[in-house]
Amino acid sequence: MMRELRFYGLLVLGLVLFPFALHPIGGYAGLATQILLVGIATMGFNLLLGYAGLLSYGQAMFYGVGSYVALLTVSKFFPQFPNMWLAIVLAVLFVSVLAFLIGALTVRLYGIYFALLTLAFAQMFYFIVFQWRDLTQGDDGLQGITAPPLWVFTNIDLTTTFPSLNLGPFGNLSDVHYWYAFAAIVSLLVIAFMRVLIRSQFGEVLGAIRENEQRSTFIGFNPQRYKLAAFTIAGALSGLSGALRGLYETSTAPDSLTIETSGNFVIYTIVGGVKTILGPMVGTAIIMYLQNVISAKTDAWRLIEGILFVAVIVFLPGGILGSFKRKRARKIFSEALSTETP
Amino acid sequence: MAIALGFTIIFGMLRLVNFAHGAFYTVGAYVGLVIAERIGLVPGLIAAPIAVAVLAIVLDRFLLRFFYDKEPTSQILVTFGVAIVLEESLRLIFGGTTRQYPVPAWLSGSMNLGFAQYPTYRLLFGIAIVLLVVAVWVFIERTDYGLIVRAGIRDRTMVQLLGGNVRLASTVIFALGAAIAGLVGAAASPIYSVDPNTGFTFLVPSFVVVVIGGLGSFWGAVVGGLLVGELQSLTTLVAPALSDVIIYVAMALVLLVRPSGLFGESEVIRG
Repeated sequence: MMRELRFYGLLVLGLVLFPFALHPIGGYAGLATQILLVGIATMGFNLLLGYAGLLSYGQAMFYGVGSYVALLTVSKFFPQFPNMWLAIVLAVLFVSVLAFLIGALTVRLYGIYFALLTLAFAQMFYFIVFQWRDLTQGDDGLQGITAPPLWVFTNIDLTTTFPSLNLGPFGNLSDVHYWYAFAAIVSLLVIAFMRVLIRSQFGEVLGAIRENEQRSTFIGFNPQRYKLAAFTIAGALSGLSGALRGLYETSTAPDSLTIETSGNFVIYTIVGGVKTILGPMVGTAIIMYLQNVISAKTDAWRLIEGILFVAVIVFLPGGILGSFKRKRARKIFSEALSTETP
Repeated sequence: MAIALGFTIIFGMLRLVNFAHGAFYTVGAYVGLVIAERIGLVPGLIAAPIAVAVLAIVLDRFLLRFFYDKEPTSQILVTFGVAIVLEESLRLIFGGTTRQYPVPAWLSGSMNLGFAQYPTYRLLFGIAIVLLVVAVWVFIERTDYGLIVRAGIRDRTMVQLLGGNVRLASTVIFALGAAIAGLVGAAASPIYSVDPNTGFTFLVPSFVVVVIGGLGSFWGAVVGGLLVGELQSLTTLVAPALSDVIIYVAMALVLLVRPSGLFGESEVIRG
């Protein structure tokens, strides 16, 4: 109980300080919002890669489709309902159903076959979005769609800033919009959800399937069903992330469905740490921050990112958080040994 | 198709999933381009596969060999990283703009084939690809060296006990697959222009080819390449908007109905 309290206490503290901590190191408060929104999709992706052992190369399809559904809800489907919840809920529902259907087809495959099949579906959706100009405006994407207010007892405009308060080197309280608060609350809920999910029987079985699928079948679990559930949840979180990002940016484009976007989720997760709940969020933060700072100075950003990625795979297979975790586990283990010796 | 062939050789022979294969193509194209501009097309065509093979050997010795025994997922990840590094290095050196080497004068005409006019360079390119396919097939299926490699996949320890050098053989095969990509890249640069992303854009359709034909199957890659080409041109005639989507639909169908592809051995599914 104390550990839970400490975890969530630190998490809330971290989320409150995050946008201000970015200020002195060359970031800005808006970047913090973007990181949290994208990080939600990355955490969902890690449920597949880290916990279920499935490498999906098509996660961008759910992310991108989520952003399109949300923005189209606002601009085309239900412009008469000026409430952001509708856009979010519709996007998540649509993407969940989509992820369930695609998952039903894909989770039967293993390793590279799974990766390539998810890639094929993502490419299909990319070209559909690209070509369906009447609905999606093709290459141009959807631009300038102002998000309606968010109803919480009263209508809140998320682009409102906090009152002005000078924080010295950490910028000003008014740098932060309500959007950040909303993103932080959603992230907190998603982290809590992942924590409960991973520690539940579902999480345990998923790990057992990853380590030895045959054996978990013999004990009486149906691996396909567990993997399908994980795929659907991961898709739903990508959809949520895409919807929020689209509403935040007031725009989206076919870029959001490309292989590059899918690859980014892979990079974020590996760098931050697979098999850890916060790793994907940390990885997203590190890479998006570095991208923001470095690409302003040099064209070599992608190269640096690639080298960093390969270096993490070779030298830190557990990612940045994973290596901390292992060090701590070793310490606890050696302490336990030393107390046992008489 | 030729890219798919190199990819399938590496996968089929080494069970190594190589996302960096497209980057090998691009490196070959740039090496060919630079040398062709300075000296001439033929030296470029010779230098490109050698340069790419050397690059592949270095990568194999110092990085990829640690991943041979790992699950395919980590192979995809590390080669994906290598691809980013290679492509971005090219972008830094040559800039992001599209480049094209003009077809030299003595090859620029077109030939009368009796039934149709066809540009000479494209015709030679096609013939060269066919010769390359045959040569690779002979090497793998009909030489002692190919035998060691094929046996090495089945039972590594046994081949080593019998005195076969499996590690050397796998490096050779990896370099060969890469050299093919490099050669094709250099030879294709007068036909298709090249930019740092070219290889990657070719790589994804080549996955489609390989999957449809059957991962690791030599003739599967050849037939898959022809099928995909036909499918795409036919769809362009009937419904041009769908021509990009159709190959992925075909790939998804093949994976769902027969994951091992048209010519694949079923043992690889659990890879």
